[in-house]
Amino acid sequence: MDLGQEMRLNRIFDPKDGRAVVVAADHGMMLGPISGVQELGKTLEKVIEGKPDAILLSPGQAEDLCHLFMGRRAPSLLVRMDWTNAFRDRTYTLPVREMSFGPIATPRDALRLGAHAAVTYLFIGQEDEGQEAKHLALVSRYTAECARVGLPLIVEPIPFGPRVTKANNSELVAAAVRIAVEAGANALKVPYTGDPESFREVVKAAEGIPILVLGGYRALSRRDLLEVIAETIEVGGSGVVFGRNIVQASDPAGVLWDIRAVVHDGRSVREVVAGDALAKPMRLGVHPERCSGCLICTSVCSFYHEGVHDRNASRLRVEGEWPGPFRLTTCTQCERCVAACPKGALSRSSLGYISWESERCDLCGNCVAACPLRVVVIVDSKVKICDLCQGAPECVEWCSRNALGVI
Amino acid sequence: MNGLRGRGYAGRILHLHLPKVEKRCEELREEEAGLFLGGKGLGAHILYHNLKPGTDALSEDNILIFATSPLTGTIAPTANRFCIVTKSPLTGTFLDSHCGGSFGVGLKEAGFDALVIGGAAEALSILVIEDGEVDLRDAKWLRGMTTFETEKEVKRALGDGFQVACIGPAGERRAPIAGVFSEMRAAGRGGAGAVMGSKGLKAIVARGSESVGVYDREAFRRAAWIAHRMIRMHEVTARHLPQYGSDNILETINETGALPTRNFQTGIFESASEIAGKEWRKELWVRDTACGRCPISCSKVAVVKDGPYKVEFTDGPDYESIWSLGALCGVREKGAIARANELCDLYGVDTISVGNIVAYAMECFERGLLRKEDFDGLEPRFGSQEAMVALVDRISKGAGVGGLLQNGVKRISEKLSAERGDDTYLTFALHVKGLELPGYDPRAAQGMGLGYATSDRGGCHLRGYTAGQELLGYSGGANPHSTEGKAKLVIDRQNEKAVLDSSGMCFYAFLALTLKEVRMLVDAATGLGYGSSRNLERVGERIYNLTRLFNSREGFTSKDDVLPERLLREPMRTGPARGLVVNLEPMLKEYYRLRGWDEGGVPTQEKLRELGLA
Repeated sequence: MDLGQEMRLNRIFDPKDGRAVVVAADHGMMLGPISGVQELGKTLEKVIEGKPDAILLSPGQAEDLCHLFMGRRAPSLLVRMDWTNAFRDRTYTLPVREMSFGPIATPRDALRLGAHAAVTYLFIGQEDEGQEAKHLALVSRYTAECARVGLPLIVEPIPFGPRVTKANNSELVAAAVRIAVEAGANALKVPYTGDPESFREVVKAAEGIPILVLGGYRALSRRDLLEVIAETIEVGGSGVVFGRNIVQASDPAGVLWDIRAVVHDGRSVREVVAGDALAKPMRLGVHPERCSGCLICTSVCSFYHEGVHDRNASRLRVEGEWPGPFRLTTCTQCERCVAACPKGALSRSSLGYISWESERCDLCGNCVAACPLRVVVIVDSKVKICDLCQGAPECVEWCSRNALGVI
Repeated sequence: MNGLRGRGYAGRILHLHLPKVEKRCEELREEEAGLFLGGKGLGAHILYHNLKPGTDALSEDNILIFATSPLTGTIAPTANRFCIVTKSPLTGTFLDSHCGGSFGVGLKEAGFDALVIGGAAEALSILVIEDGEVDLRDAKWLRGMTTFETEKEVKRALGDGFQVACIGPAGERRAPIAGVFSEMRAAGRGGAGAVMGSKGLKAIVARGSESVGVYDREAFRRAAWIAHRMIRMHEVTARHLPQYGSDNILETINETGALPTRNFQTGIFESASEIAGKEWRKELWVRDTACGRCPISCSKVAVVKDGPYKVEFTDGPDYESIWSLGALCGVREKGAIARANELCDLYGVDTISVGNIVAYAMECFERGLLRKEDFDGLEPRFGSQEAMVALVDRISKGAGVGGLLQNGVKRISEKLSAERGDDTYLTFALHVKGLELPGYDPRAAQGMGLGYATSDRGGCHLRGYTAGQELLGYSGGANPHSTEGKAKLVIDRQNEKAVLDSSGMCFYAFLALTLKEVRMLVDAATGLGYGSSRNLERVGERIYNLTRLFNSREGFTSKDDVLPERLLREPMRTGPARGLVVNLEPMLKEYYRLRGWDEGGVPTQEKLRELGLA
């Protein structure tokens, strides 16, 4: 690698751990005025409070918002050099009919804007295979020009087109990554393949070139987002480039703090999520009108706590039969069980949830009797009380209909 | 302690020979589980080795198997299913019929992976399975009761926590189109309800305190979460199915000219938009429901408040029911479809078969082949909602002309043809091996034609579902009008589906997942160590060969791997597939070759050895 490229790459990837947390905010150019990209300056001010290592912008926004990247503590700037219509799906006013792409800036333009790296796509899988060669030619031109001016090139290899299926997708990601590496990419921005095993193969294909995983979708929850990141880090990924999950969040800085904790500080997802949740008193809230009666909540409750699926060991209850409606009953953290315990076996821990100590318990059943909602049960000589899964309730996480939440 | 217990399995199979209630428990061996997984595979294995060839499906000698799968009852998304395996009274073939009701979990919690019933009870009975024990109780008081009432009454009489599988009046009178119901979900196709009726069982109930354990807790949580996440992010499983149910596809199928209309006379229904999922959502659906541990919730509850057809509540209807009782009969009135669907569910018959029967009757009437007198004074014309509902009412109750019609299109057409010495009656009977066809016209999706012809239970769309690629653009798409590569496509879909049907997961999960995720789940749950999706696919291939052996043994040959004359000879009249018939012959030849079967469609010894079946 060229010296300038290496120095600039070191501004983006933290030299201590070789990882980076990057925020992408170049969507406006591809997708139009989606939420979060309007008044981008204001959004980015909030984003920067979360201390991202770098921010990715289109050339026009990089010019407009240059003030955000001044100063010694400012994030690094990445500039997008190409454009595509590929992401206009069926919901877009002008959905893509034939995929196209093309250059909009040169490495010199990016350098002039103060960029620490430039970014370009590389698509494979289109109906017209000639497009792949054209795109690779563009990437190769960029590689050469970037090397000449000492600017690192981050390539974003993406399988796209009708020939890409869920079955061949992860293999295609690995193939596209390899093409990008061979073409001379200095770092990669790669879609997640969905599971750590296949992502390991992608990392292998990159052979040491750092891989940042991109968001591309709105995660199911903050915890889900963090789990994806943790999975990729575990198999050798070097961090993230997330866009909408951050710029469309109500508190971008908060999300970034959590992501940094996982990427740079090596903290577990559970620690981060529970730490957040228990910072203030919490309890479960229910929207029974949304419940489909699938009972995943009671199943994950027993699976998390007991390691088996046992409907009797659930700490919450779903009642009602087809055709509904269904009734949900969860612990309200009223602590009557704690008060009723003569042995002090139940207590609210300093971390904010109720815990049970088996040594002190003589199974008198007072807690069961004291529970006004009958969600405290004794099964197999164990008292089952909702401990909010130590701050990261599984029932909430797995409910696809948001019938359960944290309030 | 049994080796498989606590590894997704209960580890035991319960054998009963009625009217005796002595149980014989057989250990589920690791080797069997490895070869056949569970559900369909396990059922096929048991049926093949226990049923005498040539047995009358409704005699005491037939056996009725309820099988669960290693993922049934776990947090794996959509892992709720149980499967009924028996010899079909409608087709005489192998039959596997699947259901998302809670009975499967109940059976597992009671301590059994599968329940194998031979013989017959002396009088109408309830079979009670509780914590490893078996009892037979009188059910005469339930005679004639609908499925909904039966489940409610049985639960009231026996107490909390029992999971119920039951039949309606149609099953009691052994109508070969009768299904088995659990939580108002149906194991509908092929007549499992008639077999249950012939065993004298109105209901089977199960309850127990066994928990369902897994082999590797951490790996299982992760695999389940990854699968769950993929389902919740895929546009079909996260948006289309939850919003518009399985009926989300109806307009698309119509646009591709593949929506069988007026007994497959054409593939375009002019009123398709009126019975599309979004209209049901707007007007009739009041709630989304889901089978156990399913994040999709494609089930809907429909209510019809006013008009001639009042419906207090009915499940769905799903795409197949809306199509068969709607477009196939030329009916566009949602209230009538909902009412007909309710009748089918309550009396316990298969909506796909019933819609086909009504459409067949309508064509007979319109062509003057049957007259008003033959229909108890009704005038069943295409598009007549009154006639449609009236016929469904008679079929589900076996009343009047329903006594004939409840026997299915194949038997009706053969009877009429023989009685009247006229083969015309056979030319528009839309069935394969006796199973009425589902809602995809194969002239507009050639692969579906091959799928129907080679399905192990007769004319079924869910055995080789190529419509996803051919018509809906899933997984990269495929040219619907070409036969090229369709044999391979059908084989892949059949093998995958056999795996899914043996895993406990639902077909819809597979829109977002691949065998890879299923493999991770199965390995983490069971520790059977498949290691790769290829190895798991092998299980599917083995099952498909075994069911083929079963059907061959019952006398089915390549001559039966055929489609109704209409689809082979009458070109499609309208739409994108205009002028096309199904070009079955070349696809079938290639299919046999790729399957490693001989020209007569029988698995070769070499193939059987390779699969460990010889």
